[in-house]
Formats: sequence, structure tokens, C-alpha cells
Amino acid sequence: MFDVNELILKKAEEIGFGDVVVLSYGTQRRQVRFANNEITVAKNWHYQKSAIFAEYEKRLVSTELTALDEKTIEETLKMLFKTAKAMEPKKDYYGIAEGPFEYKDIPETFDKGIVELDEPNEYVERAINSALEEGAKRVAGVLYTDYNKLYLTTSNNVEAFDEGTGIEISVRAFVDELSSGHGTNSVRVLKKFDPESAGRKAGEIAKLAANPEEGKAGRYDVIFDPLAFANLLSYMSFMASAFAVEAGFSFLVGKLGQKVASEDIVLKDVGNMPNAYGTRKFDDEGVPTQETTIIENGVLKTYLLNTSLARKYNTKTTANAGLTMPRAWNIYLEAGDYSKEELFNEVRRGIYITNVWYTRFQNYVAGDFSTIPRDGAFLIENGEIAKPIRNIRVSDNFQRILESIAALGKELYHIHWWEVRTPVFTPYVLVKDVGITKATK
Amino acid sequence: MHELVEFAVEKALELGAEYAEARFEEHSGVNIVMKNGNPEGVGIRADRGIGVRVLVNGGMGFASTNILTKESVSEAVKKAIKLAKAASKVRNIPIKFSEERFHEVYYEVRMKKDFRDYSGEEKMEYLRLIEEEVLNSGIKVPMRFLSYQDWIAHKYFVNNEGAKVESVIPRVSITYNLVVFEEGQVEQAPFVQTAFTGGLELIERAEPWKRALNDVKALQRLIKEGKKPPEGKVDVVISPEVAGIAVHESVGHPYEADRIFGREAAQAGESFVKPDMLGERIGSEAVTVIEDPTIPNSWGFYLYDDEGVKARPRYLIKEGIITEFLMNREYAYYLDTNSNAAARAINYDREPIVRMANTYLAPGDYSFEELIEDVKLGVYMVSFNEWNIDDRRYQQRYIGREAYLIENGEIKHPVRRPILEITTKGLWSSVDAVGKDVEFYPGTCGKGEPGQGVPVWMGGASARLRDVVLRR
Repeated sequence: MFDVNELILKKAEEIGFGDVVVLSYGTQRRQVRFANNEITVAKNWHYQKSAIFAEYEKRLVSTELTALDEKTIEETLKMLFKTAKAMEPKKDYYGIAEGPFEYKDIPETFDKGIVELDEPNEYVERAINSALEEGAKRVAGVLYTDYNKLYLTTSNNVEAFDEGTGIEISVRAFVDELSSGHGTNSVRVLKKFDPESAGRKAGEIAKLAANPEEGKAGRYDVIFDPLAFANLLSYMSFMASAFAVEAGFSFLVGKLGQKVASEDIVLKDVGNMPNAYGTRKFDDEGVPTQETTIIENGVLKTYLLNTSLARKYNTKTTANAGLTMPRAWNIYLEAGDYSKEELFNEVRRGIYITNVWYTRFQNYVAGDFSTIPRDGAFLIENGEIAKPIRNIRVSDNFQRILESIAALGKELYHIHWWEVRTPVFTPYVLVKDVGITKATK
Repeated sequence: MHELVEFAVEKALELGAEYAEARFEEHSGVNIVMKNGNPEGVGIRADRGIGVRVLVNGGMGFASTNILTKESVSEAVKKAIKLAKAASKVRNIPIKFSEERFHEVYYEVRMKKDFRDYSGEEKMEYLRLIEEEVLNSGIKVPMRFLSYQDWIAHKYFVNNEGAKVESVIPRVSITYNLVVFEEGQVEQAPFVQTAFTGGLELIERAEPWKRALNDVKALQRLIKEGKKPPEGKVDVVISPEVAGIAVHESVGHPYEADRIFGREAAQAGESFVKPDMLGERIGSEAVTVIEDPTIPNSWGFYLYDDEGVKARPRYLIKEGIITEFLMNREYAYYLDTNSNAAARAINYDREPIVRMANTYLAPGDYSFEELIEDVKLGVYMVSFNEWNIDDRRYQQRYIGREAYLIENGEIKHPVRRPILEITTKGLWSSVDAVGKDVEFYPGTCGKGEPGQGVPVWMGGASARLRDVVLRR
């Protein structure tokens, strides 16, 4: 694909563009969906595309080519140039990164075994069976295998290649209509794949959740399962982006250098983490991905930046381009030192929430939001699970939740599924005095 | 391209499919973003490809490619067949489809002001109009995220049962997020969208810049004059916008047959509605909810669904009684009936699944004045920000953005963030009167794995809820 990239770059420069980025990719993706213990559909996707970002005197245009012949390339670039010339400039555009860069191989991001895997249904059956063995009656979920190739060429001396694989499963188990549990497992290399662990967890929680009682509104100490807390942290991916901050979609507006979380909290974005679903060697400008501390000991240290936004704020890029919008690769909450049992022992009367969905904000800048527990939720009394409950809602403020974190589990879990699109590493988390509401009629 | 689509279906039959369909889609258009007065850039959308779906031995397979050669399409067909065969071995009941009448048909939505004839800069003028209205208002709005989007979806669908459906549908949309800072307080109107199928004339008629001005004025007034809403049992009058989100979340979604039968358990969720609930009462006699893809210029518009079935209005609730589910061919077969054309896919690379199009609370015969005149104490909820609902679609919450106190039949001062947190049956049983004027609001409905955000309209008439508990 580099020949296509070179051709696009050459033609773009001839036409008169300044900064040019060409990101070509080839994707082979497979999916097996299942429900009621059977496969509902199996899918395969094949993409081959070239994404183009181009600048003409601070005027920015972009597109994605699906046909890669010379004529299409030329016509597209001419049309982009015409569009750019007619535009007003983006006054706060400050360019793209200057290469070349050196890239290191990141362990456990590519496995030929996944590329060559003929038929993944066996993993689905194993996951279903392990959930059934735990006592589930119905099992649903989805398995993906991924194989991606990235070819990046820029007008600033970058030529970079990355190749990655992944396999992951998300399992939802039901004992009856009101009692369900959820488990996931996402890895980059086949030998670490453990579909049974996802099935077992889903089955265990579903079984524990049988015959739930109506929950009661109030303030509770809440233990968030990694699956549930990952949902909240995945919003940090968006909210920590300098773009979201400028656009009014973040509670972190104006809070650089301020305390936004409890003192023990260290939150990072790690773009080069082995065996993590979001890992890549380089960002969309070709800057090698890195570890960036967003929150250190509770204090907001940086937003996520690309080169242009970094120059605007007189700092260095955090290697999170997105050329328009910086984004996180893998959100990482540092573990604490509590075992799961010790964490539960901290709670006299509280709630254990195993999963949430439908997180929505009344006010992004203030951080006021609610999210709905789904799958098992449990009342905790004196450190023990007392009974399953249902029909509750977490209604609180994002910063208040981060500031009220009282304890962190010592083991990290890698969460990536439909509701957690940016991969998140998080332990079990205990949060004090969480607002819980419920329907009143 | 037509030949390639037809070739895919023939090839699939040749390789042993008992059912085969192929769908070509080409999406071409423009995205423009402006942030705090700066044009962030123009994105040109040019996407196309073919998706193939087959049934083999009762298993379902789907494959897509964006490489439009016979070789690549043939490869996709082979993959779909192989996947379907393998999937059939992990099935208890073979998948079958309902019988339908199919058509060979072409349809398109015409634009009076064709957006293809206008430059990116000319389209950016719409965003500048919003900027001007907001900045000239004298209200402090330091964060302004504005976006314009248009695209034409050209589709060609063929199946082995005689369907050949080609369509050309243009869509145009403007969205904004406006953050008002006044007196040390912040309020915002996030993701407010104006959207249609059709041309630029529809945007010009709707004047989203005026709506933006009204929004920032309302937010400023809320900051300056807003008081706490009443708490406890009161009456609540919901606007068409709030009625729209409520019918979408608590009527449209739970009536989707793939939720009812558990296929969506992962990930969008199941439903409190069961197949035997057809004919059961779920709301008062004042409540009728209609789902209609055929409304001209609607954001959710289509005349044939992505299984080639002809669309028609669907009565989900008639005078309080559950009357119809949303179905594709797979679930129509299980229910021993016909599909009501609810199968939609957002692009060539997605399978068609059961979706809404335009869902609305059917009008009653009350004027707005009549709805509020005998409310002693209550709240009029005009718009909402935060909302959500559990994955069985039974307990939901809507928090008012713009809302007013109603006292002795009169609209009074703004109230801050009234919270309506209520069950689906509680909500629809509380409606005692419905207004006669209907309005629609666009949204992107999320469902499917991988996610398929489809354009929908939500709306209908205003409604009066009696004796519901409001929190603050």
C-alpha cells in the first residue's frame, strides 16, 4: 500500500497542498453473534481504504478513498483542493509532527495464529458451555477476530507500518428474564484468549442475581465491578481530549493543575501497552505512541493532544492524533492494594454493581450524569452480598465520583466491548456515597 | 454495479444458499465542523461496497467488501456461505424467513435545492448564521460546536425471491452544542439536531439558527430566573420533543421483535414485552403510538426496507392497547405473520436488523391551552438533556433542559432540571390528554453489534401526565 500512499502524497503536493497525511489500511474482521445458546449470524468484513488529510494555508480537508486507481486519486485531490481554496482558514491550526521517528515493536500485538484461524465457533461453544455450567439457562454474546494493517505516509517525513491482531468475546448469561450476568475477554494473541473466563463470570453473576428485589433510592457506598467502572472511564477517553474540552463536552474544562479525583488516583492513557486492544505503534501523524499520565495523585496533568493542539497550548503532543480530534488508545487506572475480599469488607451497607449502560449527561461541563446498572446488582451488608436488587440508577456527578474513590482493587482487568469502545484497564473500585435513584411510578 | 449485485446472488445460490441477498450502497457527501468560530475542516464522504447475506442449512452468514471486482465479491460470497454453514451447526432451530411479495422498483427523494450544487464554503454559511445569532444575542456562549452534514445514499438491493429495489435518498442535517456561562453558572444545549431527507430548502425553512438563539435565551433565563421545580405528585405536560424520546425509548424499542425473542440480548438488550402481550393494555385510551417510515422528508424515511419489503405505517399502541411489533422477515416467520418492513442496515457492511424509522405519539384533540388550563400545580417540560432507560425498556428518566412551572393553569417561571423517573406502564397510564399539533425531532438510534446508528425521527403531540412523581 505504500506505493498508493506515495502516489497520493506526490499528487497532493503537486496540486499545492501543504501538510498531507495518508493513512491506508487493510482490515479483515470476523464476527460470530450468538443468543439463546445458538449462533444467530456469522460475519466477515474486508476493507481496503486510504484516508487522506490535507492542508492548504490552514484550510483543512479530509476524505477516505475506497477506489485506489490513479484517476480516482487525481480527481479526488482536485476536488479536495477546490474545496480547501474556497474555505476560510482554521486560525488555530499549527501543523503536523515532523518525522522521521523510530518505532519499537510492541510485544503481544500480532499473532499469526489469529490471522490463520479458520473457524472460531469452537470458542463460542466453550464460552456458552462454561456459562451453562455455572447455572445459566440462556447465553448470548459476540466473538470478534481482527487483523489490521496500517500504512502511514506524511509530507513531514513519516513512513510507518503496523500490523495487529486481536480476538475477543463478550458473553451475557441469563438464569431468567430478570437475572443476568456479563463477562468479557479481549486479547491480542491467541494463547492468552480465555473465552471460558467470560462465560464463567457471566454465569456466576446471573446465578447470584436470581430473584432480585426492588432496590431503594439513597446514597450508598458502591463497589463497581471492572465492567461497570470501565464504562465510566471510557468517557474519560473523550472528555480528556483537548478537542472535547474546547467544544464544551468535558467536565475537565479549565481544570488543568487542579484536583479532580481522590488523592490515590493515577489515570493514564497508554498507547504502547502490550496485549491491549487499543494499542498502536504510532498515532495518525506518525508520532510513536506513549504512556501519558492524565491524572496524577488526583490532579489533572494534561489533556490528550495532537501536534497542532500541543503547539496551540505551548506544550508537546501526547501522541493521541486524531488529526481533528485527539483520542485515547487505552485508558488505564492504576491498581490499588485491596484484594476483592478486602474491598467488600470495607462496606457495611452498600451496593455491588456488576455492569452499567446508557451513561448520559445532563451537563457535560458540570459533569452531571446518570447511568443504569444492568445484569446483577447486589446489596452488600457487612462485607457480604446480602441479596440481588434491580431497577436502580446511578445518578451523580463525574468528578464527585472520581473524588470519592475510597479504595482500589489490586488486580487490573482489560475491558473492551460494545459499551466500552476505548479499551479500559481498571480494578474493582469502591466509591463512597454514590447517588442511587429509581423509578417512582 | 447492477450486474455485480445480481452476480453475488446467483453465485450464492450456485454455492448452495437457500436464501441470498446482496446490497450495494454508495454514500457520498460532506461533513463540516466549526468550533468556537473556527472552521475545523471539511470532510468528503465517499464510501461504497457490497454486502451479501445468505441462509445455508438454517444458518445465517454475512460478508462485505469495498473492493468492487467480481473476484472480491465472489470471495465475499464464498465467505458468507462458509460462515452460514458453520453457524448452522450451532443452531437448535434453523432460521427461516416469512413469505413476502417483492417488487422491482426504483424510487428517489428529490431535492429542490440540491446540495451537490453548493460548495463547502456555501454550506458553512449555515453554521455562520448560527454563530451570528448566538454571538449577537449578547449572551455569553464561550463554547460552540457546530456541524453540518449531507450525504446521498444510493442503494441497490436484490434477493433470490424477486426483489430488485433501487433507491437514492439524500439526507441533510445540522447539529450544535452550545454552552452558556452566565453569573458563574453553566448550562448547555448539547447535540441539538435539525435533519431531513431532502435538500437544503428544508434546512432553510426550519431555520436552526433561530432555534439556536431560542436555546441560548432559554438557558440564560434558566440561569437568571430558574427556580427549583415542585417535588412529589404533580401533573407534567410533555412537549412533542419529550413525548418523542419517550415513545422511542419505551414504545419503539421494546416492540422490536429481535429484542422480544432475545437476539439482541447481546448487546442492546431484551424487552419487558413478550409475544403474548399483543392485545394487552399498556397505557390509557388517550395513547396511540405510530411508527411510520413513509413520512415524506422525514429523517427516518424509506419506502422499502433492507430486506426489500414495502413499508407502511405500524400502529404499535392503539388507544392504549399493544397492537403490533416491529418485525423483519425472520421474526415475522416465528410470529406466523408478514414482515412490517422494519429491517434496516446503515451501510453495505452491516446486516439488516429490526429498527424504528419515525415514531410518534398520535395527536388527540386538545389545544395547548386546554392541556394546561386545569393543571393546578405542575411542570411543562419543553426539552430534555439527560435521558436513559434500562435494557428491558421499563424504567426510564428524562431531565428537563427548558421547563416551566404551571400554576393554576398558567405557565410561570423556568424550573431547573425537573426529573421524571418513571416506569413505562406508569408513564403511558398517566396520560389523560393529548394535544392536536404534531412535531418531529431527529436523532440517531443506536442498536446492533457492531453498532448501527440509524437516522430516526421522534415526536408527536404534547401530552398531559396526571399525578406523576417529579424529583429535583
